[in-house]
Amino acid sequence: MTRQIGYLPVLWDSNRIMAATWVALLPPVFMAAVERGQNIVAPLVLALGLAVLWPLLFAHMRRRAMDWNGITTALIFVVLLAGPVPLWQQGLALSFGLVMGDLIFGGRGRGFLSPAVVGLAFLLFSFPGTASGAQGQSIVIAAGVGGAILVMAGLLSWRIVLGFTVAIGALAAFSSPEKAWETLQSANLVLGLVFLVGDPVAAACTNAGRWAYGGLAGALLVLLGEIAGVGALATIVFAALLASIFAPLIDQIVIAANVRRRARRQVDG
Amino acid sequence: MAFHFRKGLNICTDAGPRGGIGVPRHVRTIAMVGDDYPGVTFDLRVADGDAVAAGQVLCVDRHRPRVCFVAPVAGRVSRIKLGARRRLELLEIELDGDAALAFDVDHAIQDATALRDVLLESGAWTSFRTRPFGLVPDPECTAAAIFVTVTDTNPLAPDPVSVVAPCLPQFKRGIDALLRLTTGTVFVCQPPGAPLITVQDRVKVAYFSGPHPAGLAGTHIHHLLPASRQRPVWQIGYQDVIAIGHLLETGQIMATRMVSLVGAGLAGPTLVNVPLGANLADLVKGQEHAQSLDNLALLSGSVLLGREAAFLRRHDVQVTAVERNLRANGRRPFWHRFLDALPRADSSAVVPIEAFERAFPFDLLPVPLMRALAVGDIDTADRLGCLELLEDDLALLSWICPSGSDYGALLRHVLNTLSQEVST
Repeated sequence: MTRQIGYLPVLWDSNRIMAATWVALLPPVFMAAVERGQNIVAPLVLALGLAVLWPLLFAHMRRRAMDWNGITTALIFVVLLAGPVPLWQQGLALSFGLVMGDLIFGGRGRGFLSPAVVGLAFLLFSFPGTASGAQGQSIVIAAGVGGAILVMAGLLSWRIVLGFTVAIGALAAFSSPEKAWETLQSANLVLGLVFLVGDPVAAACTNAGRWAYGGLAGALLVLLGEIAGVGALATIVFAALLASIFAPLIDQIVIAANVRRRARRQVDG
Repeated sequence: MAFHFRKGLNICTDAGPRGGIGVPRHVRTIAMVGDDYPGVTFDLRVADGDAVAAGQVLCVDRHRPRVCFVAPVAGRVSRIKLGARRRLELLEIELDGDAALAFDVDHAIQDATALRDVLLESGAWTSFRTRPFGLVPDPECTAAAIFVTVTDTNPLAPDPVSVVAPCLPQFKRGIDALLRLTTGTVFVCQPPGAPLITVQDRVKVAYFSGPHPAGLAGTHIHHLLPASRQRPVWQIGYQDVIAIGHLLETGQIMATRMVSLVGAGLAGPTLVNVPLGANLADLVKGQEHAQSLDNLALLSGSVLLGREAAFLRRHDVQVTAVERNLRANGRRPFWHRFLDALPRADSSAVVPIEAFERAFPFDLLPVPLMRALAVGDIDTADRLGCLELLEDDLALLSWICPSGSDYGALLRHVLNTLSQEVST
C-alpha cells in the first residue's frame, strides 16, 4: 500500500537521503584526494565501478530498478582505507561488503549492517597486517563538516554521536586523559563515527536505543584500542560491527521497557 | 491539565479561515460513503429513486440494526453504488425540498435509555468513533471515557473555538448528553485559553498546544487515558457535539458543518456552511480562478490527511484543492527533478532516521511500529500499541517516510483483523 503521491511535496525519498549523504561525503573525499594525490585515483575508480556493477547485476536479476546507494558505500570505503592495499584485495573486500552487507538482503534499509563496515571487516580479517595509513588533521575537519551536515539533515542521530563521545571520554579518562584527547581527534575515529557507527540502517532505531548504541560503540572502541591493541582502522571497524550486531538487541530491550511502561499506565489510568 | 508538545511538525503555518460562522454554500448532491464506517455491513432501507426526508433512515448496520445511518438532507436517492461483496460504497441524494423528520426528544432529556434511542435513530450515534479500532460504537456499550476534540492542528483547518463560540448553548447541551453515555469522564480537549465549559465532577478540560498532531484525538487520548481492549473510549468532533445539542434542543437533526475550503487556485481560505457529505465539485464551482477543475484534485480533509474524494467524508471539516500532477510542473528546483529522474526502487525500506521520533508525540516507538505494519506483523503491532492509534495519527509518519508506504492504510488493515479476532 503506497501513499498517493503528488499532493504534498515529499520531504525525503530514498534518492534524496542518498544525495544528502553524498554531499556530506564530499569534504572528506576531497581532502583525501588532496592528501593522497594520484594514489587515490585507481582505488576510487575501482570502487565506483564495483558500486555500480553489483547493484546493476542484482537489479537485473531481480527485475527491479537499481539504486545508487552502492556509491555511498564505495566512497566511505575509499576514504577510510588510506594505507597501501593491493587493488585486488580492495576490490574483493568491497564486493563482499556490497553483496553480503546490503544487496542479498534486498537493498538499503533491509539489512542490519553497514555494507562499508562489512567490506572493511572482511579486508581486515582476510589480509591481516593491512596498513591503516595515517590520515591528516584536514580529514578530521572534513569529516566533522560532513557529520554536521548529516546531523542538521537529521540523517545522523546526535544521540549516537553524544553517547559515543561520552563513553569514550568516560572510559579513556580513567586510563590516560591525554591519549583520550588524541584518540578523539583521530581521522579514522571521526570518519568511522559519522559514516559507519552513525549509519541509520546499522544503528538502533529507538531514541533510548541510540544512546545505548552510541555508548556501546564508544566503549568497544576504547576496549579494542586499549586492551586488544589492534590498529586504528581495525578498532573503529570492529567497534562499529559489534555495535551494529547488538543494535537489534538494544532495540528489543527498549521495546520491552516501553511495553511494560504502557501496560502499567493501563492499570493506573 | 495542560499539555504542550515540542514533538510534531507543522507542514504549513499559514492561518486557516477566520471566524466561526461560515457562508452557506449550496450543493446539488450529497452522498454517504461506506468507507467512512469501517466494519459496518449496510442493510439498505431505501431504493434508488425514493424520496427521503432529512433524518430518514437510509440504511442500518446488519449486525446491530439499531445503528442507523440517516439522510442529512431532504431529496431523492439518485445513485446507489455497491462495491466488492455487494458492500455499500456510495449512496447519493439529490437535494430537493426541505422535508425533515422530527424526533421525540422530550424523554431523552431525563432518561438515559431514551437518549441512546434518539441518538441511534437520528444517526447522531455514528459520529462517535471507538478506540481501539475506530468503529461506530456498539449501542449497548458504555464508554470508559468520551473525548471531545475541540482542537485542530491540520494545515489550514477551521478554528474550532471560533466555530463553537456562537453555538455554546448547544455545545453545553451536547456535553451534558455525553455525560449520560459514559460512567467515566468526558474530556473536553481544547487549545489554551478560557475553558469552553465549566469543570464538573465528570467533565474535565484539557489544554493542548504544539505542532501537529497535537490537535488530534489520538494524541489527547494517549496522554489522558490510553485506550485498550479492556478500556474502550470514544471520540467525537466538536461540531458533532453541537449537532447533538441542536438535536436535543429542537428535535431535528443538524446536518450542516462548518468546513474550511482551502487550496491552490481557490480564493483564500473560506469557511463555508455545507451539508454532510456535500459534493466537493459543487462546493468549489465558481471559486476557482486561473485554472479549471480538471487541473485540481479535490481532497476531503487537509493536504496531509486528506484523500481525493467526490464527497465530503463524514469526519472531515476541511476541503483542500491541490494542483494535480505536482511532479510535472517546472517550478521545482533542478536537483529535485534530477533526483526524481534517477531510477529508484519501487518501494524502498524504512530508513530509521530520528525525524520519525521528532514528529511523533506518543510514548510509542515509531520505527518498530512502522516496520511491524509494513510487514503485516499483527502481533508485534498490537504489542507496540497500534490499538491506541487510528489512520490520521500516522499520516505525518507516512509523509516523512522515504519508503512511500501509507501506514494509515496498513494500520487499518491490522485494526480490521484485530477487531474481527475480538468479535469472534
